[in-house]
Amino acid sequence: MRSTKPRRWGERLIEGAIKSTGIATIVFVLLIFVFLLKDSLPLFGHAKQTASLLGTRWLPTSEPEQFGLIPLLLGSLYVTLGAMVISVPLGVACAIFIAELAPQWLRELLKPLVELLAAVPSVVFGALGVLLLGPWFAKTLHLPVGQFAALGSLLLAFMAIPTIVSVSEDALHAVPRALRAGSLALGATHWQSITRVVLPTARSGLIAAGLLGLGRAIGETMTVLMVTGNAAVIPQGLKGFILPVRTMTATIAAEMGETAHNSTHYFALFFIGLLLFLITLVVNVVAEVVVHRMGREAK
Amino acid sequence: MKQGRILTLAIGLAMLTALMVLSGCPGQKAADTTAPTDMAVKPPAEAGGPPATGAKETIRQIGSTTVLPLAEKWREAFNKLHPEVDIAVSGGGSGTGIKGLISKSCEIANSSREIKDKEIEEAKAAGVSPVEHLVAYDGIAVIVNKENPLTKISVEQLSDIYTGKTTKWDAVGAKGLGDIQVINRESSSGTYDSFKEMVVQLHGKEKDRDFMAGTLNQTSTESVLSLVSETKGAIGYVGLGYVDDRVKVLDVIPIGGKEPVKASAETVLSGKYPISRKLYCYTNGEPTGNLKTYMDWIKGPEGQAIVSEVGYIPLAK
Repeated sequence: MRSTKPRRWGERLIEGAIKSTGIATIVFVLLIFVFLLKDSLPLFGHAKQTASLLGTRWLPTSEPEQFGLIPLLLGSLYVTLGAMVISVPLGVACAIFIAELAPQWLRELLKPLVELLAAVPSVVFGALGVLLLGPWFAKTLHLPVGQFAALGSLLLAFMAIPTIVSVSEDALHAVPRALRAGSLALGATHWQSITRVVLPTARSGLIAAGLLGLGRAIGETMTVLMVTGNAAVIPQGLKGFILPVRTMTATIAAEMGETAHNSTHYFALFFIGLLLFLITLVVNVVAEVVVHRMGREAK
Repeated sequence: MKQGRILTLAIGLAMLTALMVLSGCPGQKAADTTAPTDMAVKPPAEAGGPPATGAKETIRQIGSTTVLPLAEKWREAFNKLHPEVDIAVSGGGSGTGIKGLISKSCEIANSSREIKDKEIEEAKAAGVSPVEHLVAYDGIAVIVNKENPLTKISVEQLSDIYTGKTTKWDAVGAKGLGDIQVINRESSSGTYDSFKEMVVQLHGKEKDRDFMAGTLNQTSTESVLSLVSETKGAIGYVGLGYVDDRVKVLDVIPIGGKEPVKASAETVLSGKYPISRKLYCYTNGEPTGNLKTYMDWIKGPEGQAIVSEVGYIPLAK
């Protein structure tokens, strides 16, 4: 080791740079929040429009304007829940296979492939849905229209799967080897060890994986804008899945472009943004808490 | 050890460069705004365009969202020919445009309707004399699936369908098609506004009528065309210039009329086709200088070629 001076200097520099990027992230999130608040709160200065928020009709350009958020909230809920129903079992199963069952070579092939799925731009998923899957589903299942909630769910599921797989896989890896070895040593089969020892131990990690996938799905915009039909109706029961819906994200994307600056419509769109921000925040915080619990349990 | 140190230093340097580039950005951008860019940056509507930059003349063109896509294309093409003229285009609606002309916050007001007498009075009081320029025609075709037996529909029937009063194809004379799948455009579309005014509100006669909530809103003309071509029970509307053979165009019976009119450039130009209207630009007095060059270019062959490109109907030669 020669003089230690330049090394310290370099380290300090890098440390500072890393620290500032970390702080910048926090500042950005706070700024986004403040910005959303600033542009959505003026809506509440208009009593009529505020009252319409709880209504069931989203008609932003009619006279008087109607900003009923219920259909949009339910639309997002339907699409996202549908996506979870498809992606959580698939994602967790895939993670189990990769972490526990697959031979080394297959694992090394599968992992990057799943990650590649995350690299597909959402507009490509959307085009796939609107040009191929939508018309095909409409024809084979005799649906009235080829743009419906479940189609959005299906495509979102594939977008959420990479997140779910990688977080679940980490959770499965965090299960101590000794537990697995002990289970096998007691005479349990491989399958019994997985279902009765490994999965229960990794439980909170798997829940976190699902929640992070949910966070990914609820904020997705382009695909749902293209395939879900954007009809602001209140979905009715299970039938709602095969009929068009309108999500919160698609509403912002479709309407922001031509909205007059500082109009009530503009504020209403920002208010939807604020709601989305809060929903994702809550989902992510819950996921974080669960992951922390997982860390403690592993110890 | 040495290698690791070099690596960390390299990473640090990369970060530092990134930081410098980032922090250098505002200055860079400020310098950029004076140069013409191809990007379609719309100035904020209330500001009425960016401040004049240097000796360049800025023409501010505000108004109808129906004319907006056309004006954007005009601006783009004209800017290539005359880089010395800055054109700033923004929407806000026909009323906003004419108000802007009266308050002198724009040079051109785009409008999808004729100026009202009241507005002319206001303009005169403000010392502005609006001059009307017919720049294009807007015609909207009503389209259905090819398997739909219907050949004609009245404006009143269309209004009932789009307001949700009529929900079954049987009610308009097409048997066995079940529910009507009502395809609409997003509210940000100029065609949406046109259709609302001309069909849903029966050319402004029923101002309190509006689209029902729950129509299938599409973000582009293309998605309306493909959805209608794939959906048996669908009805939709697109700019006349965009119609293709994947869909069937319905003849339209005018309000209170009996004879269905075929949708075509001829019937729009003759004023017979009921879902059509004239698009105007208004200027303060007869245009002079660059403004005149621009207005003449719009009405000339190049400007009119863009009119058909955007899906509207050009002026008769």
